[in-house]
Amino acid sequence: MLKTLRLSFSLKNTYRVNGILYSLKQIPFLKRLLPATLYRIRGLKFFANVLSVLWELVTIFLFKFLYFFTMICGVGLLYENAPASLSFLHILLFLTLVGSYMNTNVFNPTRDKYYAMILLRMNARSYTLVNYGYALLKTMVGFLPCTLLFGLRRGVPLWLCLLLPFCVAGAKLTVTAFSLRDYEKYGYVRNENKLQKYAWMLTGLLLALAYLPPALGYVLPTEASAVLFLIWIPAGLVSLRHVSNFRYYREFNQELLSQVVTQMDAMKKATKTVSEKAISTDASISSQKRGFEYLNELFIKRHRKILWKSALRIAQVCALLSCGVLLLMILRPGTRGEINEMVMTWLPYFAFIMYMINRGTGFTRALFMNCDHSLLTYSFYKQPGYVLKLFQIRLREIMKINAVPALVIGTGLVLILFVSGGTNNSLDYVVLLVSILSMSLFFSIHYLTVYYLLQPYTAGTEMKSGTYRIVMILTYIACYAMMNLRLPILVFGAACIAFCLLYSVIACVLVYKFAPKTFRLRT
Amino acid sequence: MKFIIEHLSKRFEQKEVLKDIHFTFEDGKIYGLLGRNGAGKTTLFNCLNRDLKADSGTFSLEEDGIRRDVTAEDIGYVLSTPTVPEFLTGREFLKFFLDINETSVQASKSLDEYFNMVSIAPEDRDKLMKDYSHGMKNKMQMLINIIAQPKLLLLDEPLTSLDVVVAEEMKGLLRSLKDSRITIFSTHILDLALDLCDEIILLSHGELEAVEKSNLDDQEFKEKIISALREETYA
Repeated sequence: MLKTLRLSFSLKNTYRVNGILYSLKQIPFLKRLLPATLYRIRGLKFFANVLSVLWELVTIFLFKFLYFFTMICGVGLLYENAPASLSFLHILLFLTLVGSYMNTNVFNPTRDKYYAMILLRMNARSYTLVNYGYALLKTMVGFLPCTLLFGLRRGVPLWLCLLLPFCVAGAKLTVTAFSLRDYEKYGYVRNENKLQKYAWMLTGLLLALAYLPPALGYVLPTEASAVLFLIWIPAGLVSLRHVSNFRYYREFNQELLSQVVTQMDAMKKATKTVSEKAISTDASISSQKRGFEYLNELFIKRHRKILWKSALRIAQVCALLSCGVLLLMILRPGTRGEINEMVMTWLPYFAFIMYMINRGTGFTRALFMNCDHSLLTYSFYKQPGYVLKLFQIRLREIMKINAVPALVIGTGLVLILFVSGGTNNSLDYVVLLVSILSMSLFFSIHYLTVYYLLQPYTAGTEMKSGTYRIVMILTYIACYAMMNLRLPILVFGAACIAFCLLYSVIACVLVYKFAPKTFRLRT
Repeated sequence: MKFIIEHLSKRFEQKEVLKDIHFTFEDGKIYGLLGRNGAGKTTLFNCLNRDLKADSGTFSLEEDGIRRDVTAEDIGYVLSTPTVPEFLTGREFLKFFLDINETSVQASKSLDEYFNMVSIAPEDRDKLMKDYSHGMKNKMQMLINIIAQPKLLLLDEPLTSLDVVVAEEMKGLLRSLKDSRITIFSTHILDLALDLCDEIILLSHGELEAVEKSNLDDQEFKEKIISALREETYA
């Protein structure tokens, strides 16, 4: 048993450490510094091991803490009608029942199990039991500080707080024993990631029982909750015998884990199917244009669903919201002052909104998956003149798509500003509209430029550029940071327009200079 | 016409995949490129097609004694997994290709005549290519590369996963097209290489070398190739 524990730990750790080292290798700059022999350097391995241990601690404590903090106490705070101690136990009880079959460990087909039991042919029984024992121990150790910390503060008796982790483990054990018996009797292999319809219905019911009655002021009394918790301890002990005596772990895991390989393939296939499905099969679609305009028109028409429909829907929602605000100001004139002040200073906030609604990522992804992925393997398509010609056409298209919601938002804001009391400087109206449009222009150019300069995908449609990921994260952070800025329309608007125009010019120069070389399939 | 590779090198960190390669190919021939797994055949093709930056080296075309650099339009590259723009129909793809290459490609045939060349049935020509079979996609990819009339045609295991009928059709097509161009055909299947190719070249230890058949019979020639490939220990 000890040997199995040591082996499975070292296997899991190797897998994790190599995963960490592989991720390090994906970071630009670091990639060049790290040698190919990275996986055998002791210092780096030690560093990755430290990270791996930290991760283990996070999974033991932090996740449990977050679970208690949000799901049980956070939601519990919303209930004014029920006493805190009762709603705490009530919610925890029903969530424990949900967890007992949705988070079992034994019925979760993971890759480390696949490696250990199928590829390395470790003894299935001892591997499963040792790992299950460790998982249960982790559950109890992780739960104990949380039940004490959150439970005691809500007036749950100490003895119950101390016993709760054992009850949780008991519930899990009991469900596991029943499921194993199911296998013995009917040959049914449960997979906790592929629940049956009735299991989902049960989950819905249990969640409703957890959260609805406390909202209405009905909770189980402490005694009832305590009894319903405590029965899992003897049930767990009985089940423990069954789980440890179960004889078919090899057969059972063989069947459960055969799905791991198909899952990995299925993910690849799913990406392809999604991209293929995006292509409209409408036979009436055609084009009278020639050359690249012909290619582009057919692409846009056959991808209307993913390119235009969502932009139009966003525009409709924005139009509705603007009308709502206008109506509010007409019905309640008292709100005008506050709204006017917001519109006058909240323009930076719209950088984030424009970031969220722009279709740049969807557009470039569709371009790659359904068009460039294949055409980049043809030499004629990579000729510099053609690369730039198509860039121009695509830029025009993405600008058109993004401009529709931008125009609606800009017009909406101008109208809101006007109705809310207007401004002393009529230039504000112009700047407001133009800055929203220039933000939309910025995002259109930004995404297409980054795509052309970093082309992050391989022929196998795998994303393989750390730099691309970093640029995307930085874009998000920059736009998110804008939300905290409060500047007058004129100041932010003028700066924004100037920045967008300057960026556009620089981006186009960079594309013209470098894209013929960088717009290639990654190898 | 000659295609000349000089001092071509490529290394991935410590591993030198292509070592200062020198080789001259001549037109009118199909070259069978053989090598163990991981020998660097695809790397060589990727460098020639400029999908991968070589560490050093030049490759040029020599026509009537005049040398010039190889440009993108000189090369046709057919991958083992055929890739075609799936949102287009076969006919639309062909039309688009002929449109943008109208100055360089003299389209002497109608679209349907081109489809006839690779035996794509009339009812399939106006279907979206996402509904094409593997073999049909392969034919489309080959067709485009044929019409472009590249001076250098690189084929990376193109017949491996085709059914016997399509594979025979493709072989016939390649034979009929070999004049006035250089075809380099990479494969793992020795019999295929011997059947189709005029010359056998090995990529072994990062170097290209031709295997002389001289007066050996087919069996002896095969054995010579295999023993040469065996020498590469860490493939």
